[in-house]
Parts: sequence; C-alpha cells; structure tokens
Amino acid sequence: MDDLPIEKIAISGPTLASLIQRFSTSPGPIDGLLYGHVSLLTPSTLSDDTSSSSSSLPSTSTSLPPISSSSQTLIATITSFFSLSAGHVNPLLLPTPPPSSSLLGWFSARRRSPLRPSLREFSLSHSLSSLPSLSFPILSSRSSLSPCIFLLLSSPIYDQTIHTHEYRAYQFRSSLLSFDPKSIEVINIGPAFRSHYGAFSPNSPFPSLPCDHSSSMAVDDEKEEEERLRAEQTQLDDCAEGFQVGRLSKLMGNEAANYSAGLENLYGKMLVKIESLARQVEQSSALVFEQENHNRKLKYKAARFTGSE
Amino acid sequence: MASDGVPPIIAAQLNYLLSHFPLSVKIEHLWSGSKFSTGVIDRFTIVIPYCLDFIKWDFIYNSESPISAPDVIFGAEDENFLSFLARNDGVEGNANSAKNCLSDWNGKDPTRLMVLLQQLRDQYMNYQRKRVDEVDDDRLKFEVSTIAFREGIEMHLSSGAEKPEEVKFAVPLTEMNIDKMVHGCPWRHSPKIYLQVIYPVGRKYVSASSAPRLKLLSTSDLKSIFSIEDFKLPPWLDGMCMAEYLPHLEESLEKQILEAVSLIDVRRRFIESLAPLFGRPLEADPIFCRKATFLAGSGAFTFLVHFSISTQFPKQQPGLMLQSSQHMNSHGVPAKSPLITEYPWSPRWETSVMAEKIFEFLVDEALNFKRYCNEAQLQH
Repeated sequence: MDDLPIEKIAISGPTLASLIQRFSTSPGPIDGLLYGHVSLLTPSTLSDDTSSSSSSLPSTSTSLPPISSSSQTLIATITSFFSLSAGHVNPLLLPTPPPSSSLLGWFSARRRSPLRPSLREFSLSHSLSSLPSLSFPILSSRSSLSPCIFLLLSSPIYDQTIHTHEYRAYQFRSSLLSFDPKSIEVINIGPAFRSHYGAFSPNSPFPSLPCDHSSSMAVDDEKEEEERLRAEQTQLDDCAEGFQVGRLSKLMGNEAANYSAGLENLYGKMLVKIESLARQVEQSSALVFEQENHNRKLKYKAARFTGSE
Repeated sequence: MASDGVPPIIAAQLNYLLSHFPLSVKIEHLWSGSKFSTGVIDRFTIVIPYCLDFIKWDFIYNSESPISAPDVIFGAEDENFLSFLARNDGVEGNANSAKNCLSDWNGKDPTRLMVLLQQLRDQYMNYQRKRVDEVDDDRLKFEVSTIAFREGIEMHLSSGAEKPEEVKFAVPLTEMNIDKMVHGCPWRHSPKIYLQVIYPVGRKYVSASSAPRLKLLSTSDLKSIFSIEDFKLPPWLDGMCMAEYLPHLEESLEKQILEAVSLIDVRRRFIESLAPLFGRPLEADPIFCRKATFLAGSGAFTFLVHFSISTQFPKQQPGLMLQSSQHMNSHGVPAKSPLITEYPWSPRWETSVMAEKIFEFLVDEALNFKRYCNEAQLQH
C-alpha cells in the first residue's frame, strides 16, 4: 500500500451541495463515507519550441523530467457519498461502494465547532487508512491507495447574521501519521470545467429507453428484456393517458388547434397530480418532523431521569 | 456552576471534574451544537493549567446522544499532538490510554470526563517533553538531563511565527505541606510554589552561560501568609545550571515560609493584646490573623476600627480604617476614614505596647474622624 501524496481533491458541485444539505437538515452531527476514484494526471511534457537552437542540440532533450511517481499528479474525485449518524462509521463493517467507484475516505460534519480534525476523526482516519483490505487501485496506474481522504464540515461557533458552511479537506498520510490539508476544487458544468469531464465517470447507468423498436430487435434472444421494456411502456402509457409519442405529429397541420387543447388538458391534469403529491409529501414531512421533535423531547426527559438516578 | 441546559448526564461529569480534578480547571465557554434546541448545551471549552499557563481544549458531546463519548479538539498550535497520541497509544497499549477510555465509554459514570482529561493531560506532558528533547541546543539538553527527574516538572516549547522559540520549565519547589503547618487551614490543596525558567532557543550569539529568565510564582492561596513578590531570588551566577541553583533557592524559600508561618502567631498575639483595651473583637480572622474589627467609642460617638495586618507584620504596621456607626453618606454607605498607616510604631515593641500606642493614637484620631464625618454630612 503506497502513501502517495494527492495533489488536490475534486468534488462535483451537486455532490457537495447535497452533502451540505444533508448536514444542515440532520438534527445532529453526521459521519459518512466518500466514494469516487483517484486518477493519475501525467503532466504534459510537450512544450512549444521557443529556441531554435535546441533542435541543433538533441542532448537537451534529456533534461525532460523523468516519468516517475513524483512528476505525476494524483487527483481524487469524489462522486458520491453515503451518510450515517455520527459515530456509526465502522471500518470493519462498511457497505459495498457503488459500481465503478471506490471508498476514498470519509467525512465528518459537526455543527458549531472548530474546523480542525478532532481526536476521534484522527483515530478513525488512521484506522481507515491502515486497513490493507480497503486499498483501491489508482486509475491508469499500477499503484494503489488507501481510503485516506477526510472531509470536515462545520459551522461557526458564534451565531452570525450570514450562515456559513465551512469545509476543509485533508489527506491522511499514514507514513507521517498526520493530516495534510488539501485544496478542494468544486467542479461544475460549463466550459471552464471541460477538462474535468473525463475525470467523472457515470455512477448510475443511463436508463435504456425503448426509442426505436423496429431496428433494435436484431438481437432477439433477449425475450426477458423485451418483457421488462413492455411492462415499463405500459407504466408510461398509464401516465400519458392515451397520448402516444406518435400522436405528437398531429401537433402540426389542420387538427393542431384541436389537439393542442387536449394536450394542454393532459398537462393541466399532470400539474394537479404533482401538486397534490407535493402537498402529501409536505404533510407527511410535517408529521415526521413533529414525531421527531416528540421523540427528542422524550429522549431528553429520559436523559434527565437517568441523570437524576 | 451554571449548568443550565447541560443534559444531566454531561452535567454530572462536569461537576465531578470541577470538584475532583487535582488542578483548578475552568469551563470557559459553553454552547450548543444542536439544530433544534439551542438551549441544550453539549459543547464547552475546558481551560487546563499547564506549565504555569493554560491549554484550551474543546469537548464536543452530542446532545442527540448525551450518553456517547465526547470528542476532543485540541488547540490549533498543538496539531502534532494527535500524531503523538496515535503513536504512543499504539506503542504502550496500556489499559488506561485515552483511546481505551473513549472506546469503552460509560456515559453514566460521572468520573469518566475527569479520567479522560487526566490521561490526555499526562500525554500532553509527555508530548511537550518530547518536543523539548528534540530541540537542538546543548545547554538545554544538559539542563533537561539534570533536572528531568524532579517530580511534577513541566516543560513547554513555545514556537510562534513571530516569536522566537523558547523552552519554558515549571519547576515545583519545596515539598513542605504548608496547609498542614497552619492550624485550621481551609485550603483544599497545599499551595504550590513554582520557579518558571525560560530559555531562549537557538540564539547562537548569546553567551552560553547567561541566566535564563526566572520568575517565582505561587497559587493564590499562599498570599494569605506569604507574598511571593517579596521574595528576592538569589542571583544566578555565571555558568550556573538549574541543578545548582534550585537547592539553594529552595533552602532560602523554605526558611522564609517557616518564618511566615511563625508570624501568624505574632499577629494572633497582637490581636489578643488589643482586646483588653478595645474589648472583644467584633470580627477577626482566626486562621491567618490578617484582619480584625473592634468597636470603639469616644464619648457618645461610636465607630468601628478595622485592622488590616500584612504578612510583613510586625515590620510593617497594621493599616487602620475607622468606620462611623452614626454617619452615612448620601448613598446610605457608612462614612469611612482613609486607610491610616502613619502613627507611632516600632516593630521592636511588645504587642501590648503596640496596642497601647494605637489606642492612645485613636483617642485623638477619633475626634478628627468625628469632625470629618460631621463636616461631610453638612455638605449634603
């Protein structure tokens, strides 16, 4: 197991946002596991030939940096996480990582506390990175790495007018027995982040939609697959209430005015359905919230009772 | 202590810590980390005395589960302490390591927090010792090797970005149980006296034999019988080391403390000799004999005489303050004289003579004080 230094840690904007959201809605501190992958970026040694003289002196080409682990940069990319209530991460009992990703490390989120790793966080990072069974391969490389990433989330101790979320990323270096602070890069979608697109791999496969039945039936031995698709199609048809994709062609031409009214009617119904669904969710959330509050009160009462014993 | 809002299980541990920890720890700041009930306090900063200074550690409990073990966040300047703990807990594998204490935490046991703090502080002491050992300075290495065996010695390497590195020693002095020497002493612990020794590190150009910075400090209890500021440190001779300096210092300190303890009886005799002239004291400090109050009169004018007797008595005469029983200022506070420290006095007098001279002085002074009180009242 190597203890290679990671250059930086990348996380997609939505993943970080959902992590913060998960933390800010949880009643207490949370812990969780971070999944993703570590890839190797070989720095480009190709550069523009600025001096014409270099071509006449081929020996200068030996000054190019040798390909070694020191000249390569490791980037850890966090693609998903799994959260637990604090104190429930057990290095010996870990869930299996989602497909095509590895356990990179873990995170701890605790409200109103200093943004420094604590005793417990240090110990847990230490044990996670010292279990050889957990080490995972670095993409496009023969080396491997242990789950050494630690993400710490907190909020300021003193109340402030503007609520801030604080976070800091570390790599636990088992050879040095210390946390190494790392810069964290939030990756969003857009031209500025185009270079990172390759670093993300899909973690949920694109759903297979039956777009074109006639041509894709070349492989006919997948009867079961077809069955499943048919079942899905019926479900979709139920929602569409008789409106099929084929009928969309009627949106053009003479019948269009007539037809669009029907389509609008369908959308209207759908909106009503969504609204009532949203209301149901809201009501049940309120009930859950109330029940949680009640449970909390009981818990405090019980604590007071045991404390007075 | 103010334990409002602290869950009872945590409060029990805190109270136990405050009343049983051998050093006087303080809880500096209590706050809540809960999302919903901000009144439930589950975090606090404990200020722990170390090497004549303080270390502040944050203890983070979880109000959602107060029975669980707390987490500790150490000071920002001690980031390597975690590595030290990880190394040492692994090596020693002893049953009373902080890690073991946390892994089989029993929230219902009120002693747990104190045990944890004690273990962590012990480790912190080892950690600082190791840091000092690693300093590359021959003189310091020599000093450490000669005095490290002293029980209770603490060391600290301070290194700031702006400040030059310094090694600080806190050397406990004398094994005297001063509390046992004073009859009826109310102190919880015997007062401690420390010599603080500060060596600058790595200044190659400073002459190797120059004296370190020395300062004598004591716990505040000692003030009642002995003022540490009045003690003159013996000179640090050229080329001296701590092992040479300390026995000499301890010897003269012990002599002075014995003398200070014997002075309590001198003060007691003085208060007793006041009684035949002034009558029984209204109030007197029976243990250290530093204060006494008598009721006196001059004709119809009655007043109180407060005696404050310094630890330097009889070298230094007692301070007197008169307080009228008949005059009040506009705020309803009894009229008082300023502190009187100048009147006939000789430390060589018998205590009965001292008392007589004070009594005589007060016969005249009472008239002045009465006039002063009447004038003050007329102005209102």
